[in-house]
Amino acid sequence: MGCGVATSSEKQLSPGTILTGKWNGRKYKLERLLGVGANGQVYLATYGRAACAIKLGKDVSDLQAEANILASLDHREKKQPFLLDVDDAMLNGNQVPFYVMQYVPGTAVRTYLRKHGTEWFGVIGYRLLRRLSELHEAGWIFGDIKNDNILVSDYGRIALVDYGGMTASGRGIRQFTEIYDRGYWSAGSRTADPAYDWFSTAVLWIHALDEKRLLHLTRTLLPQNRDPGELLGLVKSHPSLKPLSGWFERALYGRFETTQEAAESWREAVHAASGAKSPSAPRVPGWMAGVFALSLLLCISLMAIWLFS
Amino acid sequence: MNQILLITDGGSNVGVSPVVAAAQAYEEGIIVNVAGVIDEGSIGEYGASEIAEIARAGGGMSRIVSTKQLSQTVQMMTRQTVVGTIRQAVNQELRQVFGVSSVEALPPPKRAEVVRVMEDMGETTPLRVALLIDASASMKPKLLAVEEAIRDLSLSLQARSGESMAAVFHFPGEQESCVLDTPWTSSTERFGSLFGKLRMRGTTPTGPALLRAIEYFRESYGKIMTEDVHPASILKRDDTDGMRSGYVV
Repeated sequence: MGCGVATSSEKQLSPGTILTGKWNGRKYKLERLLGVGANGQVYLATYGRAACAIKLGKDVSDLQAEANILASLDHREKKQPFLLDVDDAMLNGNQVPFYVMQYVPGTAVRTYLRKHGTEWFGVIGYRLLRRLSELHEAGWIFGDIKNDNILVSDYGRIALVDYGGMTASGRGIRQFTEIYDRGYWSAGSRTADPAYDWFSTAVLWIHALDEKRLLHLTRTLLPQNRDPGELLGLVKSHPSLKPLSGWFERALYGRFETTQEAAESWREAVHAASGAKSPSAPRVPGWMAGVFALSLLLCISLMAIWLFS
Repeated sequence: MNQILLITDGGSNVGVSPVVAAAQAYEEGIIVNVAGVIDEGSIGEYGASEIAEIARAGGGMSRIVSTKQLSQTVQMMTRQTVVGTIRQAVNQELRQVFGVSSVEALPPPKRAEVVRVMEDMGETTPLRVALLIDASASMKPKLLAVEEAIRDLSLSLQARSGESMAAVFHFPGEQESCVLDTPWTSSTERFGSLFGKLRMRGTTPTGPALLRAIEYFRESYGKIMTEDVHPASILKRDDTDGMRSGYVV
């Protein structure tokens, strides 16, 4: 349990700082700050000529717990490893724990949509659910789904970052963000299950496409009136979300069987919605129209020949 | 693992010193955390220093926050206290078993193992939190936030795998210094409203209220010092790379 309270009071390290691992001896050069998470800072760095991302934390156990999760995920997924190194460095006389990850380029969902158009949200949403489905099948719940933790790169490719909230299924969510939290909205427990992620995913899209009204709602609603119905109300009165309100209802109330089903249902809903936007009747292939015109012409000329003869 | 969480907005003014009471709680294996709630105005120098002192004597932490931050702060303090208690116990084991002072001194692979054990303990160790709510008149505009914080905390407690209980007291009562509103429960539904329990006049007997909460722990769980956290038995498990396996508590 724990709430994602970003404490950015930590001082930033200047670009060019060299981290030398105490145990494994690798040297990393910090390039720039990428973001501040609930329990540490993430920097873009270079190792030799390769880019990587480094998370520096204050608390060795918190950081190691995250590294453990990444390691077990790598072990499970047997892809190219995501976690590259775990070590300590001395900075200004203090031992600072850090771990090294693959660098994932990209921008937060909302920024991406603003730049490239909201029509991307259908495909991004599908990819997110597919990714979650992989995690869920491996027994992990991501937990802290939110705008900042989903990076989108070229052509709507997505990557999840900040695994501080990732929780083994059945345990208490390790880290969450209030407005994305199922418990906050009186929509269920804080026990990690796939539905916890579906709920946050639904809030993510409301946040991404209708931030103003979502934040207004959280500010004005009394705690005892927080209810998933309020969120559904926002969905039903938003032009881009409304066509998907069936999906949102199931996500907010946890009414899918599996995340796989949630993904398929999303794909179908998006498909239907984009079809509905261009209400042209079933298209007639060009060749058929041509043949029709030709036959009409033939018919008229035959009629003319018959009339004049 | 036992905790008292005191939520108040100012200094005590009657009965035994709350700092002494907190020290006694700590002595009996109960950690005392304090959330000082303010909105407008300040808590006063006296109130602020008393809050810090209570937490220090009670082995816990204190924060002075606005009503908006109360839920998050209560969560954070409860969690940090669990983590801190386990860390202490684990560090003690590490000293005895490996001769190192803390997790930091272990190389990352071994650290990974120990942290896994600590996480397990944090999630599964039985946890009891007695909430002690100041219901004096000045708390009135803050009670909604307090209720929300209690609900929020109980949600997180419920999500833990280990046995998790919460009880709620408010002070002062009509006759007595402190009243038990909700006995130990693991359900989020059981917490009633705090309104109507406000005393518009009267005193703030923080010290006596703390003593009452200690007594309640004793009534319900007997001598609590005896059932502390025992990491050693868990540290032995999964003994793969060089941990001394013959170690017995």
